[in-house]
Amino acid sequence: MDLIIGGAYQGKLDYAKEKHSIQDTDVFTCQGCEIDFTKPCINHIEEFVLACIRADVDPILYFKKHWEDWRHSVLICMDLSCGVVPLEAEMRQWRNLTGKLCQYLSREASSVTRIFCGLEQKLK
Amino acid sequence: MTIFITGGAKNGKSSLAQDLAVAMAKGKPHYYIATMIPCDEEDHERIKNHVADRAGLGFETVECGRNILSCLDRVDPNGTFLLDSATALLLNELFPDPTSCEMDVKAAQRCADDLVTFAKAVNNLVIVSDYIYSDAARYDEVTEVYRKCLADIDRNLAQVSDTVLEVCAGNICVYKGDVLV
Repeated sequence: MDLIIGGAYQGKLDYAKEKHSIQDTDVFTCQGCEIDFTKPCINHIEEFVLACIRADVDPILYFKKHWEDWRHSVLICMDLSCGVVPLEAEMRQWRNLTGKLCQYLSREASSVTRIFCGLEQKLK
Repeated sequence: MTIFITGGAKNGKSSLAQDLAVAMAKGKPHYYIATMIPCDEEDHERIKNHVADRAGLGFETVECGRNILSCLDRVDPNGTFLLDSATALLLNELFPDPTSCEMDVKAAQRCADDLVTFAKAVNNLVIVSDYIYSDAARYDEVTEVYRKCLADIDRNLAQVSDTVLEVCAGNICVYKGDVLV
């Protein structure tokens, strides 16, 4: 699995498309708390995390349960970790769980790339 | 040579940018492009601090809050330019009327293209932006458009720049090129 992280609008999906020959039809864009792992690229995992919080689902457990399904995928998640601690409890939980999930996915990944202003930074 | 500098607030981006611009100028003309159009007392105070910061460094100040290419006829393009910041320039372009939230998205897109043209038109450019993309917050639509437009500028500039740096607590992270000037 290749993990791509980075801030908003930094070019994570463009990078995935170019580097991993991903087409638009290969991309599953997370909205709710279910992921279609038949697609080789899963984008906006942070949105999946937020949906999980709202549905009282554990997003990390969900990924662990589906390990076989994404072990060869390209996973893309936004880095939410650098702002002030959010006032709203839901946003705090969102930040915490997205961070923890990214740590888990980083451990499982064969490569981790951070995209910064469109440029790649190899982290693993 | 074009150097693009970004990072969080109050990490030392501006003073590094000044030092690099002075070093690149090698005694030749160097210009400070003042992008901020002051709206209140706080802005005037900020400008005062920035002016004091660069006193004695030999910069000629060029006021240009919009249409960055328009300042080219007032300067020597063989000189070195410090543009601080893309963030302020975009603010003026995206919100033509500072008293309203009405957006001119076309002007913002033109601003991104103009900055790339400007970088290619001048001999040396150091340009500062702000990294505002990694927090856990749901912004209103207007702020979100602003963030996206600034990210477009950043990505365009990073692509054409020789050097891309992030400044973190006064330390330099190099994403592209090097800092030897």
